[in-house]
Amino acid sequence: MKGNGLKRYRLRFNQHYRLWLAGGLLFFCACAWGQPSPVGGTLGAVGSDTMAGLMLRWGEALHHRYPDITLQFQAGGSASAPTALVAGTTRFGPMSRPITERERQQFIERYGYPPHELSVARDALLLVVHRHNPLASLTRKQADAIFSTSLDCGGPQPIRRWEDLLPADQWPYGKIALHGRNLASGTHRLFQEQALCNGQFRRDISEHPGSSAVIAAVGESPNAMGYAGYNHLNPMVRALPLINDKGTAITPSVATIQDDTYPLSRDLYLYVNLPPGERLPPAEQAFLELIFSDEGQQIVQAAGFVPLPQTQRSPLLLGD
Amino acid sequence: MRWSFRPSRISAMGSLLWPWLCAASVALSLLMLATLLTLLATRGLGHFWPAALEEATLHSGETVIGQPVRETPLPNTAGIERLYFTGNRDIDGASWRWVALDDIDTVAVPDDLIRLERSPWGDFIGRLEAVESEGQRFEDAAAWAFVARALTLPDSQRPNAQLQLTAANGHTITQPLSGVTLFQAPNAMSWGQKVVVWSERIWQFLSEGPRAANTGGGVWPAIFGTVLMVILMSVIVTPFGVLAAIYLNEIAHQNRLTRLVRIGVRNLAGVPSIVYGVFGLGVFVYGIGGSIDSWFFEDALPSPTFGTGGLLWASLTLALLTLPVVIVATEEGLARIPDAQREGAVALGATRLEMLTRVVLPMATPAMLTGVILAVARAAGEVAPLMLVGVAKLAPQMPVDGEFPYLHLERKFMHLGYHLFDTAFHGEDVQAAIPLVFATALLLVLIVLVLNLTAIFLRHYLRRQRGNEC
Amino acid sequence: MTPPRLPFLRQPLRLIHDRIATGLITAGGIGVLLAILAIGVFLIWETLPLLAFGDAFSLSTLSPLAWGTLKAALAAMLFATPIALGAAMYSALFMSTRLRSRVKPILELMEAIPGVVVGFVAGLLLAPWVERHLASTLLVIVWLPLSAALAGGLWYLANARLRQWLPLSWAGVWLMPWLAIMVTLALWLSPLMEQAWFGGDLRRLLDQQYGLDYATRNALIVGIAMGFAVIPSIYSLAEDALADVPASLMEGAQALGASRWQALWKVALPTAGPGVFSAVMIGAGRAVGETMIVLMASGNTALFSASPFEGLRSLSASIAIELPEASPGGLTYHLLIFAALSLFIFTFLVNTLAEVVRQRLRRRYQRLGGKL
Repeated sequence: MKGNGLKRYRLRFNQHYRLWLAGGLLFFCACAWGQPSPVGGTLGAVGSDTMAGLMLRWGEALHHRYPDITLQFQAGGSASAPTALVAGTTRFGPMSRPITERERQQFIERYGYPPHELSVARDALLLVVHRHNPLASLTRKQADAIFSTSLDCGGPQPIRRWEDLLPADQWPYGKIALHGRNLASGTHRLFQEQALCNGQFRRDISEHPGSSAVIAAVGESPNAMGYAGYNHLNPMVRALPLINDKGTAITPSVATIQDDTYPLSRDLYLYVNLPPGERLPPAEQAFLELIFSDEGQQIVQAAGFVPLPQTQRSPLLLGD
Repeated sequence: MRWSFRPSRISAMGSLLWPWLCAASVALSLLMLATLLTLLATRGLGHFWPAALEEATLHSGETVIGQPVRETPLPNTAGIERLYFTGNRDIDGASWRWVALDDIDTVAVPDDLIRLERSPWGDFIGRLEAVESEGQRFEDAAAWAFVARALTLPDSQRPNAQLQLTAANGHTITQPLSGVTLFQAPNAMSWGQKVVVWSERIWQFLSEGPRAANTGGGVWPAIFGTVLMVILMSVIVTPFGVLAAIYLNEIAHQNRLTRLVRIGVRNLAGVPSIVYGVFGLGVFVYGIGGSIDSWFFEDALPSPTFGTGGLLWASLTLALLTLPVVIVATEEGLARIPDAQREGAVALGATRLEMLTRVVLPMATPAMLTGVILAVARAAGEVAPLMLVGVAKLAPQMPVDGEFPYLHLERKFMHLGYHLFDTAFHGEDVQAAIPLVFATALLLVLIVLVLNLTAIFLRHYLRRQRGNEC
Repeated sequence: MTPPRLPFLRQPLRLIHDRIATGLITAGGIGVLLAILAIGVFLIWETLPLLAFGDAFSLSTLSPLAWGTLKAALAAMLFATPIALGAAMYSALFMSTRLRSRVKPILELMEAIPGVVVGFVAGLLLAPWVERHLASTLLVIVWLPLSAALAGGLWYLANARLRQWLPLSWAGVWLMPWLAIMVTLALWLSPLMEQAWFGGDLRRLLDQQYGLDYATRNALIVGIAMGFAVIPSIYSLAEDALADVPASLMEGAQALGASRWQALWKVALPTAGPGVFSAVMIGAGRAVGETMIVLMASGNTALFSASPFEGLRSLSASIAIELPEASPGGLTYHLLIFAALSLFIFTFLVNTLAEVVRQRLRRRYQRLGGKL
């Protein structure tokens, strides 16, 4: 009996020991060899968070067209695209803002030529209110007066209450509850630049960690106003027309965003690393062709963004 | 000690009623818990149920076809409005429609309404007119039979066909069969069929990857990522936690310092998880990861390999976070073993190592196990530290694949809890995402509850089994 | 303790094994403890550069966050403490043993529900609902204790058979449907009351009469959600402390003619007071550090305001969303690490205090001759 017991315990100890050893070995091996996987029939892209849905949908469609090509996309925010391009870990860098001069210089320093800039879709920042809100439109000064404390766009005084915008019996909801994005997001920065004329945000804006949270919050409360990207728009909320410099109210729509008449519209970019005089390999070329094809631009719309106007959908053959 | 009981009427009333307030607190806590769980279960599982499609005719003569979702009172005026999920983003530009109840003339539930899931446009809701395939045209029943048969075939063998569909507003579109992933006519289904579809969709949710940028499909990569991370974490935390507990309880001199250390360890269990996340980011990711990158992966710089959040760092951070749990549980197990056992072993000539491995540790195994399970349960539900050290919104590359070295510790991974946060706050269409979020929440809660229950039963069972020893 | 002699050759080997193993365990143990210690060291080390920035202004940007953290924790404690302590008193002293062995683990399971789930439900469901039904919510909060007292009153009036059917020792369970009915009743009646007392819209009244703003995601919501999350930890520890009060004390008091409640109030509570106190402290520590609930349910508005209807922003939520984007070495990075350090120190102190108090209590119980 006794001997049995001892044997059993020893066995058990040994088992544990081996398990630990094996675990440890596995761990270190994987550590040492865990390199980025070599590309074989896969396209890599690194960049914007905003465009993640778009890139992945394009990837799905590409895979559908050419079953042996797959796209691997790593969303790390727009700032990660130039870094990866310079490092040469990717050829495609999707960005929701244009590349800065510093980033471009870094790229030129490394390769001797600038990255190729392609506009692949259009997007806009929207001012949204509750879906039943009767407010017809806003001027840019009013938008600034609502969201900022600094009034850098030239409004006369801050706007705090719905009575300042609408007759009280039409929308008796008192103070405007403001919703926006958190400090770290690109949307926050962009709104500050474009809508607030680089002014200061008010402090009592609810800062949500995501655009769809903004839409959800605005859709639930009649006294709310917020800003969000065009691709998050849904019928819970209404996007306010903005009055441009000429005094006409422009409703954000596919047409007005396409031709840039809506004041807060912007391009979405894809930066490509391509030496002058060279052609892209076939897989990469196929991806670009897909993007600018009707199917690719339909995917843009399916992802909630605005497709490029017909004139910009050039059948693009880089390096020709 | 002296007690004075003043027989006043108020205090008598109080002493009669206070127990009821206390009892109500228990009842209220249980009620809140039950409400939360019921809410998650109904909303989470209900999403997969093939809901009836309504065809509402408005006073204006317009028809709306869709699935009723919810009703809310109209702001600023009397009345109620109803939200319909209408699909057809390609035709209407939106897949939702609010209709005031006062505007509705009649509501019907015709059997021939269908719901398609297709890419890239998401759901279509409307009617099937005809199917055209290789010059042939099928209508009505023949068309239905054709589509039903075609969808049972694997993708590659499907016939090349075009569906002619009509939406609510009379708009006709042509949809290639190749883009269709689901075809159903929920109004015509019997109960049994609905149950079958329901369970199939739940299975799809569990076993498939996310589609259309997280707005559809399943959560399999997130389940996989969560489980893998938790396994790695327990592989790390178990040996170290047990080692520390043995040291504290069996080897260290039991003096003031040991007591202080013990209190310190216990308190670390109460330190907010986000603090561990900050530590993981600063030390593991930027510190150690950055150094590994500059030593071994210099050619990949400046794009980081280990110098960014990843599976390894997430597991290590959570291991640190759960270390106190394992240490405390193991120590409790060790303290419960009577000294007589240890003395007996030593008296029979065992060295300390033999005494530990053959007598003490086997007896403390249940406690260790409980500790590890509790650690796993805690880790599975933690999200905040992971936001800093390694989860990804979408990780199409699994951390385990066929490429050498098979387990990619530097990759980012998907996690159920973060997936929940992400789809609820970052998704494209929050209204469409909420049912999926409920389903994910239900899944997460179930996993965590099952793990906790396992720990409770294990502890209970083993305590009773060893009851006579202690 | 001389070990019996063993065959000559094996003896030293075993001893060497033993030495090595002991050394390894000691090294491993100390290593782990040092690793844990490293957290504090790291946080302090990374905060030091802030001194170099020498910028008192930047620290002041953290003060609304600190205030938000405290406000959120306070709201949660206001909601959780009465419920948790009430539940602890009831289940330690009134509940039937059989029921207690079921209910306690269930309530402790509440703690396991991930914060991200609670935060999601609070932020996306509870917050809009409360915004639409503010008056109803406030009415329910007032009405719940009243309806519990009402249940008690009715129980004393009821006949003996009914009382046997529905004993106090099982009230924790059979009050559930009662409370559910009462809540439904309150929700049904509240529009009428709002009409009668607040002129139809409480929020408009608050806005126009008192100038109070109402944000959808506010301290009230955070209080309820986070209260829900900390109830189990307070409950569990307080219940342990109360249940471990030596039975002889309670029996003695009751033998002297005290009612059960009087014995609880005047004997058990004072004796277990430190334990209850430490339970509340640990709950507060948890409320201060909770991240996901505050992030999802608070609106993240960096405001100095005491109004329960306005948003707040906590240290932990700021760390979670801003730190991944902050470039290491920058001012924001060090500021956020300082925020983490303050959370760390605060919770560590609170927990240490609670632990010391609890250990002292345990010794007191031993002296009083109760079970450990």
